[in-house]
Amino acid sequence: MYENRPEMDFQLVSELAVPFTKVMGTGFTTVKPKGLTKWDNLLVCVGRERDRGAFSELFEHFAPRIKSFLLRLGTDESIAEEVAQEAMIMVWRRAETYDVRQSGASTWIFTIARNKRIDRLRRENRPLPDMSDPSLAPDDVETSDIFVFRQQEEKKIRHALKNLPEEQAKMIFSAYYEEKSHREIADESGVPLGTVKSRIRLALNRLRAHLDEPEGIWKS
Amino acid sequence: MNEQVTLNTQVLDALLLDYATGALSRPLELLVETHLAMNEKSSRSMRMLMQLGGILLEDSEPVSLSEGALQKVMSQLSQFDNETDEIFSRVNAHTEWLPHPIANYVPESNCKQSWRRAGIGILETDINFDEAGGKAKIYRIASGTAVPIHSHTGAEVTLVLSGGFTDETGSYGPGDIAIQEAGSEHQPIADDDGECMVLAVNEGKIRLTGPIGRVLNLLVN
Repeated sequence: MYENRPEMDFQLVSELAVPFTKVMGTGFTTVKPKGLTKWDNLLVCVGRERDRGAFSELFEHFAPRIKSFLLRLGTDESIAEEVAQEAMIMVWRRAETYDVRQSGASTWIFTIARNKRIDRLRRENRPLPDMSDPSLAPDDVETSDIFVFRQQEEKKIRHALKNLPEEQAKMIFSAYYEEKSHREIADESGVPLGTVKSRIRLALNRLRAHLDEPEGIWKS
Repeated sequence: MNEQVTLNTQVLDALLLDYATGALSRPLELLVETHLAMNEKSSRSMRMLMQLGGILLEDSEPVSLSEGALQKVMSQLSQFDNETDEIFSRVNAHTEWLPHPIANYVPESNCKQSWRRAGIGILETDINFDEAGGKAKIYRIASGTAVPIHSHTGAEVTLVLSGGFTDETGSYGPGDIAIQEAGSEHQPIADDDGECMVLAVNEGKIRLTGPIGRVLNLLVN
């Protein structure tokens, strides 16, 4: 569907694909921007044009994944269904604030689904995710460069995740897929709390180390 | 690296991970959000953890929604067409200098009803959340004041909002998180160059997602 929108493509290219000649600290070389994912493009369309066709494509891709994620967390089927729908409505409402340079559509939608689920648990309204929030935006990179780097980052995280030692990967998956806090992971797995904490620490260090590799964006 | 520093960094990572997956109680969530606004390194880690969540979401095996779910949602969209940005909370003028997440929770310094005396040179105020047992405290400790030696029934997580303090485990400045394990004793002394304001959350008592909290959640919902 999005493939039929060359004008949007052009707009994005003209805005984002500025020459990446800027040298970002040491070890940085010129990088050519890679393509956005289909989902990033669709989300941009929803934000800029209130495009219902784009939204329904996003819905068909993400709603079943959000539902799946919630079911894995042990959420009731009917609640998982409702929260997935509510999260997608929130995607529609907040799409204007999505900044394609700062986060991928899946990351952005993950934070929305995360918040919707917590709201459901707490029955409380929270401020919506603000992707310009310092916690969600890399802050020592020129804005125009962020887009390229966030894609590198995602690749690196994927790679690092695949290469985590099993015991560390287990901690990460328990946390995300079973909604377990580190204390619960300790309680339920019989692994001492201190060991759980140190494994989490080691896992995050490994992921961070991948992001910090020479071609990475972060200044050391 | 001494033992306490190792402990602090491990607990910090565990807290960041719990925050990303939504497993923290509201008070600890507020503490972590405030910390993120003050600490660049942690906010990078959080960005990474959210990306990780996005990757895991993307890789999830899709589960079909009920029939007509898309139509139902599409039919609701038009009611949001003229929304304004009021959903984002506004910050009170008097606390503008504080990091955004905590700013609206801190009463004005001169408001006597809001601040209780909690010892010589120490003022405190409660932050109450709707959920059962969800509570945090903000302390203002006058410059150079020694807080009486005390212990905690549960682990306590303390975030320095302004100023700084030193205890047996080390020195802490704005944005730093100090972890006090259950039962351990400490005596913080505020730095002598100004008031020290901290946000303190007792980790042991307030979790909503623990085994007991889960039962509470069921009752609440």
